[in-house]
Amino acid sequence: MAQLFHRRFGFLFRLGLIGAALAATTGVLLWRASMAYPAGVNDPIEQPVPFSHKHHVGDDGIRCRYCHSSVEKSAFAGIPPISTCMTCHSQLYTDQPVLAPVVEAFRGGASLRWKRLNKLPDFVYFNHSIHVAKGIGCASCHGQIDTMPLTARTAPLTMQWCLDCHRHPEQNLRPADRVFDLHWKAANQSALGARLLKAYHIDTARLTDCSVCHR
Amino acid sequence: MPPLKSGQSFDPAAARAELSGQSGPVLWRSLEELADNEAFRQWLRQEQPRLAEVLGLDRRQFLRTLGAALALAGVTACGRPPQNEIIPYVHAPVGQVDGLPRFFATALTRNGYAHGVLVENHMGRPTKIEGNPRHPASLGATDIFAQAAILQLWDPDRSQTVRHRGVISSWDDFAAALLDLTAQSGRNGGAGMHVLTGEVTSPTLTAQLDALLQKFPAARWHLHEPLDSGNSRAGARMAFGAPLSTRLHLDRARVILSLDDDFLCDPAAGVRHARDFAATRAPEKAGGGMSRLYVLESTPSITGAVADHRLPLESARIEAFSRALARRLGVLEDQADSINESAWLDAIVSDLQANHGHSLITVGRSQPAWMHAAAHAMNAALGNSGAVIEYSDPVERVPEEGASLAQLVNAIRAGSVDLLVMLDVNPAYDAPADLEFRAALKQVPHVVHLGLYVDESAELSEWHLPQAHALETWSDARAFDGTVTIGQPLIAPLYDGRSACEVMALLMGAEVQKGHDLVRRQWRAKLADEPAWVAALQAGLIADSAIAVRSASVRPDLKSLLAPPKSGGAPPQGGGALSQGGGAPPESSGAPPQKGRAPSQSSSASQGGLELLFRGDPTIEDGRWSNNAWLQELPKPLTQLTWDNAVLISPSLAAERHLSNGELVELRLQGRSLRGPVWITPGQAARSVTIHLGYGRRRSGQVGTGQGFDAYALRSSSGPWRSAGLQILATGERYELAGTQQHFQMEGRDVLRVGTLADFQTNPRFATAHDRYPDKPPSLYPDYPPGEYAWGLSIDLNACIGCKACTIACQAENNIPTVGRDQVRRGREMHWIRVDRYYEGHQDNPHTYSQPVPCMMCEHAPCELVCPVDATVHDSEGLNVQIYNRCVGTRFCSNNCPYKVRRFNFLQYVQSSSDTLLAQRNPEVTVRRRGVMEKCTYCIQRIEAAHIEADKQDRRIGDGEVLTACQAVCPTQAIVFGDLSDGRSQVAQAKASARHYVMLGELNTRPRTSYLARVRNPNPSLEQG
Repeated sequence: MAQLFHRRFGFLFRLGLIGAALAATTGVLLWRASMAYPAGVNDPIEQPVPFSHKHHVGDDGIRCRYCHSSVEKSAFAGIPPISTCMTCHSQLYTDQPVLAPVVEAFRGGASLRWKRLNKLPDFVYFNHSIHVAKGIGCASCHGQIDTMPLTARTAPLTMQWCLDCHRHPEQNLRPADRVFDLHWKAANQSALGARLLKAYHIDTARLTDCSVCHR
Repeated sequence: MPPLKSGQSFDPAAARAELSGQSGPVLWRSLEELADNEAFRQWLRQEQPRLAEVLGLDRRQFLRTLGAALALAGVTACGRPPQNEIIPYVHAPVGQVDGLPRFFATALTRNGYAHGVLVENHMGRPTKIEGNPRHPASLGATDIFAQAAILQLWDPDRSQTVRHRGVISSWDDFAAALLDLTAQSGRNGGAGMHVLTGEVTSPTLTAQLDALLQKFPAARWHLHEPLDSGNSRAGARMAFGAPLSTRLHLDRARVILSLDDDFLCDPAAGVRHARDFAATRAPEKAGGGMSRLYVLESTPSITGAVADHRLPLESARIEAFSRALARRLGVLEDQADSINESAWLDAIVSDLQANHGHSLITVGRSQPAWMHAAAHAMNAALGNSGAVIEYSDPVERVPEEGASLAQLVNAIRAGSVDLLVMLDVNPAYDAPADLEFRAALKQVPHVVHLGLYVDESAELSEWHLPQAHALETWSDARAFDGTVTIGQPLIAPLYDGRSACEVMALLMGAEVQKGHDLVRRQWRAKLADEPAWVAALQAGLIADSAIAVRSASVRPDLKSLLAPPKSGGAPPQGGGALSQGGGAPPESSGAPPQKGRAPSQSSSASQGGLELLFRGDPTIEDGRWSNNAWLQELPKPLTQLTWDNAVLISPSLAAERHLSNGELVELRLQGRSLRGPVWITPGQAARSVTIHLGYGRRRSGQVGTGQGFDAYALRSSSGPWRSAGLQILATGERYELAGTQQHFQMEGRDVLRVGTLADFQTNPRFATAHDRYPDKPPSLYPDYPPGEYAWGLSIDLNACIGCKACTIACQAENNIPTVGRDQVRRGREMHWIRVDRYYEGHQDNPHTYSQPVPCMMCEHAPCELVCPVDATVHDSEGLNVQIYNRCVGTRFCSNNCPYKVRRFNFLQYVQSSSDTLLAQRNPEVTVRRRGVMEKCTYCIQRIEAAHIEADKQDRRIGDGEVLTACQAVCPTQAIVFGDLSDGRSQVAQAKASARHYVMLGELNTRPRTSYLARVRNPNPSLEQG
């Protein structure tokens, strides 16, 4: 029986396969790009005021809780009211154009509209206060924020990422007085973690219950 | 009503035949079930009624649609998550921790009476209302209306602007126009100026009304409340010479006789009454004490449903009965009575007399004034005055005699009304038909209307003013005992609204105009300094502001006043209806004043004439809640109807006239007529026909307009509560009512257990005596390891009065959507806790029981085993949790749930079209979308909040620290929630009760929700068979 396909067909077929694979990869990448969160990991986005955590925290030494005042009491860490900014900026850099929106808001204009970087889906109920109370440091999720001239998200905030820690919280536990220390590192995290797990009375079985995060 | 096809209609005669010869306690929910005919069974066979009809497709069409749906399925997922923003405060509110709710004490009013509430506020958004535990009318609980008030606040249909002849205008324009008008009439001392209000207890508003009448002596203040307590005021005036307020102490009563009084739903003190009443109903209490309640009523009410003895009697015959009772107790002196119910009379009289000083006779507001007066005299004769019933100077302020709506209409007809100011009333809709108020209103040159909605009255007014909601404004009001609550705003007015006090200030041209300043000035003397003012606001009441109890002695000449009722100034209906006793011959000496009218009525009654009763709707009252979807969809206690009112008739009348549920009838009364669907109501008095007011709104809002029929069309000012001489004509047409009594059928299983006090005393464990399975049968499924807590819930059926406050509190707390009439007809209502109503016994006067059914949180949950995606799983503390983001909507779990407590979002029920409704939602609870199963969670958001607080402080969650929404709202504390692993917790102790049983325990699902059996306390001499 005669050959059904020309000899060159094998080459074309392979070429076609590679082309299809490329097209599929491009498609998936395009889809992922279009579906990605607006603010990617390590991807600072433009804010109404180019606020620098590096300057305020790293250089000036302002403590986290000076601005994020509800982090120990509430689910929401708190975003400072304009009046907090003006405690210093009523005196400092008052005439700088980058600060104009802040001054304007304080004088009775529209408030700032910060773009949100760390956003969880609506069916996830994250609570800052319990994490801080049980020895999870700011840096565990927010990275070394005192080195960021422009703030970026450092964690993927996927369920997998949440569960990694909820399954093995000892990997990230800190002593209570080191929670707000952005550069602290344990000498022996596994030994410390195991000890702290008991000290904080953390029930690891419950940490992976659906109802802990979803209501 | 099950959606019966035409020709399969239910035949009450067959049901009666079926019943005769039946014995033993058989529980039934509906007459159709009782009859158990083929039509009903066919309907029952479909798990979701009429699913096929919804689709209406053949196989090919179905496949085509399915293919298209699959092809397009991916498209819906295309879209980037939105860029969220965080907008900081400029100045943070004092005392607020971002993200934590705060609670503010304020008051909501019903018929002018304050109900103390705590309003949950999420960063400036009021989202949920709880009772104020310190407030005497609340004690921490609320009624359904307080729960629904939060939806009313956010209702997008509320009036948003000032209107002048229907055109958008402004407060400044109104103030200017008003200045002209008041200057004009001010020159004649205010002649021609009339103010119309509802019932008022607010000290600020009454002071303003006084000041107005002082400034303009010729001005008039009129009172119009469709469901008023005029009869009880008139009765007190008759008995004591002064309109004293009555205060009931049901917790001190051992025998209670209610003469058509639904005191558990009293607008002023219903919640308090329920708490006090429930306190006397625990059979475990030392001394074996349980109070006994006798109720005589014409139409089933919540109070009648919890009664130990309930006698359905036509409203007019209740009057005859009361007369006989008064004679027996020595309050009336005329010749011997002749009533058919002498066995009841004997039993009740001896029970009342045996409990001298611990009994109580109450009379409903629909009964004439003389009965209220006689009840005061009877209570005095029984030694109850000062013990179970107390009196005080009047709590509410009423205008002078003769300042009724009828007088206003007369003044309008006479052309003497120039300016009419209507404050939060809607007489163009709810005035009695014979006043022809709409026509009268058109004759008034200048009408000003203040209201929450652009309603029927607003349409006919020159000026309509948007009213600020009670949660948006400063106000004050008195509770039933006179305790004053300062109402504080939870939010700045959403629209351009002002309060009644502010409009009164405008009317008088007062210098002080702001609501806060008006209320503050009123209380300048009592709350002199700022700390006292702040303390009163924080407590939600002014300490020691209750009106002192005073002694009250019945006038010695009351007997002579009552003997011929007309001389006591009884309201028109009282005398007229006196001798309508069906079957009982009219008293010759107690001849009614309207002699000309009475004989024809009494003869028609003895020939089986019908009386028409007007009652406020159980969920939308006089119509003011008509635009509230939560209340519209709340199955009405006892009838279980939603979204409609109906003509309630007795089973025997239905049999006589061959009427079936949903059949449209024409009601004819005094030359007026009305059409409405029939609802056969077990326990309705044989010759009484009841229609509920509040429906048939011509102008209400997207939700309320045009629903049901307008019962006011038959209401006359001479017979506001009942009229004799009703004719019913069948039309042969049908209307499909949306009732829920058939939904979630329990298939005749033994889910509700009842016994008598005697049963309980013989065997306290009577509820489980007949169970043929061990306490914990063996199971193939392993037990879950015990967690830190074991959450459980107990429901005391003896305390439950079936008011459904739990259902609506749950709806508010858990962002539960409403689905609309059509979806309710298909059995798709979403309530997480339903209240089933069961009947036992003969349909003419069955015992009625209520059973709230939330998720049972089974330890061996059948739903968990069948979920293909693990969307419903157990957590370590014993909760059966539903994970919305995993759910793919197979509905297997719902199929496998023996308790039928799972609810599926068949359609996108949650509306996102209105910004204000979005603001109402509880931010702690996920909003579910189409295709997702949901169910009761034991308010897991509240458990988690308490868990986090306790864990932060390294302590255990205290007993009572977590209150589920249904538990918090329950007026009788029937629901107890807590940790079962702590033996001292309230819930563990409740479950240790001898009356404890679990629903469908034979299935070995091991529910965490369980029940305490109902115990009745019948009088042995009345208990038949």
